[in-house]
Amino acid sequence: MSDVETGVPPESPPASTIGTAESKRTNRAKRAHRAGSDLPFLALMGALGGGYLLLILALLAADIAYTSPAHFVAALSKPEIRFAVRLTLISCTISALLSIWVATPLGYLLSRFQFRGRWLIDTALDVPVVLPPLVIGLSLLILFHLPIAGGKLDDWFQQTLGFRVTFRQPAVILAQFAVACAFAVQTMRVTFDQIDPRAEQVALTLGCRRSQAFLQVVLPQAWRGLIAAFTIAWARSLGEFGPILVFAGATRMRTEVLSTTVFLELSVGRLEAAVAVSLMMVMAAMAVLGIVRLLGARVN
Amino acid sequence: MAPARPTIRFLLGDAPDDLHRPRHRRYGQRRGASSWPVLVVIATLVILGLLIASLVERPSSPVANQTGASSAEQSLMIYCAASNREVMEAVRADYEQDFGIPVQVQYGASQTLLASLEVSKSGDLYLPADDSFLGRARERDLIDDDFALADMKAVVAVPKGNPKQIAKLDDLLRDKIRVAQGSSEATAIGKVTKAALEATGKWEALEQHTAVFKTTVNEVANDVKLGAVDAGIVYGPVLHDYDTLEGLSISELASIQSRVAVALLKSSTRPQAAVRFARYLSAQDKGLVRYREFGFDPVEGDPWSEQPELTLYAGSMLRPAIEETITEFERREGVKVTRVYNGCGILVAQMKAGEVPDAYFACDVEFMNQVQDIFPSPESVSQNELVILVEKGNPHGIKSLKDLSHPGLRVGIGHEKQCAMGWITQRTFTESGLQTELMKNVVVQTPTGDMLVNQMRSGSLDAAVAYLSNAAGAAEFLDAIRIQGIPCSVATQPYGVAAGSNHRQLAERLLRAIRTQSSKEKFTSEGFRWLEGQRSADE
Repeated sequence: MSDVETGVPPESPPASTIGTAESKRTNRAKRAHRAGSDLPFLALMGALGGGYLLLILALLAADIAYTSPAHFVAALSKPEIRFAVRLTLISCTISALLSIWVATPLGYLLSRFQFRGRWLIDTALDVPVVLPPLVIGLSLLILFHLPIAGGKLDDWFQQTLGFRVTFRQPAVILAQFAVACAFAVQTMRVTFDQIDPRAEQVALTLGCRRSQAFLQVVLPQAWRGLIAAFTIAWARSLGEFGPILVFAGATRMRTEVLSTTVFLELSVGRLEAAVAVSLMMVMAAMAVLGIVRLLGARVN
Repeated sequence: MAPARPTIRFLLGDAPDDLHRPRHRRYGQRRGASSWPVLVVIATLVILGLLIASLVERPSSPVANQTGASSAEQSLMIYCAASNREVMEAVRADYEQDFGIPVQVQYGASQTLLASLEVSKSGDLYLPADDSFLGRARERDLIDDDFALADMKAVVAVPKGNPKQIAKLDDLLRDKIRVAQGSSEATAIGKVTKAALEATGKWEALEQHTAVFKTTVNEVANDVKLGAVDAGIVYGPVLHDYDTLEGLSISELASIQSRVAVALLKSSTRPQAAVRFARYLSAQDKGLVRYREFGFDPVEGDPWSEQPELTLYAGSMLRPAIEETITEFERREGVKVTRVYNGCGILVAQMKAGEVPDAYFACDVEFMNQVQDIFPSPESVSQNELVILVEKGNPHGIKSLKDLSHPGLRVGIGHEKQCAMGWITQRTFTESGLQTELMKNVVVQTPTGDMLVNQMRSGSLDAAVAYLSNAAGAAEFLDAIRIQGIPCSVATQPYGVAAGSNHRQLAERLLRAIRTQSSKEKFTSEGFRWLEGQRSADE
């Protein structure tokens, strides 16, 4: 969530208040014992935070120790795993982009407008976050096969749009999107909450339409929030596994993504391969998220 | 006042052009495109479109391509337990190579797969890790028939070399031994272990001592592999992929085993192709070779044959009850069933002469007993009752067997040597103590009951002793009078599979097809009494 907080413009008022409080304290500190007094405090903070970082690094190190380059090569040489890598990257990006497209308007509306029954929408938006992922998959499956008005949604897709959803690639994306979008919405909402509506109002009084004010004034300020929402949605999609297994299945060369590959490898006891694929996921995630963050920083 | 400041700065700093915009808001705005947020918005749409497009060309994936056109729709869809993945991949590769027919397999936990196929009502075959899941699927009316594949025995998984020297169940209870097991609710291995050990009174101690219960059998093996526990109870074949583990067979677990079977789903839109693959998978010289390779104990399967031919000998009286079911079975299985209907005595004589069919559906137990060495474990399917058939309205006022001895009556019965009906008729006559009187009036003895019915209808007989089922088709013209108080007037029809048959599994499946609900309805409408499944010795 740190990204969201940095979505606040640099010179926002709370920051300056903290600044003055700090300066007061340092003044007093200067009188008591001149230097080094901050050290224990910072050390404690560092130790607490660093402990977690250490844990992550230790996990990665353990994974690396458990597998070997040979396992990597073996995994990557399999066409089904290469397929899974490709499908994973594409489906995650699609669902993250879709999430942004939905989360931005939703977050904006929820942040800017007060209306009755809003709590209901808020609660509904929390459902995908609190529900066990497996249940979301099952619900999707039920939805697409429930006889509605004499037909099923899945058949309708087949007849009208020419493709099936269940157990096909659209199901992978939909399953990822269903969960990831909720996280993106939360992020975007906090982002818009933290952007002062004043500027937007000023733009409106200067003659902007709301759409112009949104595009010209609000969106540029929400840029980092957008990046954060994208990364969260992307990362959620990457790790998504329960709903995909139920709704899209784990059919080789069709709906197998990396997270299901890990499950499949694990379920036949090939821990080394499972770990190799997991590390591949970590690298893919770091690469994509790194690029996105870098891009975000540059544009900003 | 303060909040506005940063935003204005932002506008000034980042987008100086925009500062002038609001003044002439109507102009220059629409086509300007100089504002980057709009560009970004458009860019995301373009990327989205490109990515989706890249997936759309995907359906012709490498595997499907090998075999050509529109295979995605034609290929089979199998739900397979993740624990069977290795062997399934091997068989699938064989099958695709042999026939060029692509097979799509969806792997997952047996329970998860069951849930998704129940909801989606799609797919062709279901192969769970244990046949208890098939029971559940059957309860929900999801599957048609199943094909037994192999057995898995329970073993104790330990690191290679058995460093903790485990040899019997009590060793698992030692203080320093940590044990993992599959959950007795969620996993098949857990369920069968609990049942077996409860019977011997050892369960409680082991349950107390078990360090962890896992939700899949592979997780148990994984724990042993990682050294998180010292031993775990798993299925033997599971360890095939674990180089660093070995499975110990200990006597207390010897009785524990599960059966792997693949079932045809009712939702299948191409049952013939699905059954063909299931037959391939369960063929002793095809799929089961792989199963043995991967550490399973395969069942005794039929040898593979493109279109197997099954020979069935059946008593003529059974024809109306089974004919339709067999035709349906032929269509579903893609096999040919050669039926030989005749009086059972004649059929037995043929078999004794050396012409042995794959299966034999006898008119009465007596005629099965005569060929018991060929059909070791027959199963009783139905019963039939001997009745007196008379013309509609019963013009001769016949009420019992005794009335058939009235002088001048023309009576027809079955031939005692040629058919079970005749044999039972003779026995019934003897039991009634009226045999000589009755036989005086017998003008004809036929090898089948149908002939008697025809003769009744043509008016050449006044009465006939035949099966109730014989009269079922002629209820408009004939009345049936029950023979009271003589228990042997009831015939029981057993179905047996020849021990030496090359198509034993197929013949067993035919029996199961005959035992289905729709078949039962045909039997009862033909006047048979239905006997609920009583599996004898073989299972």
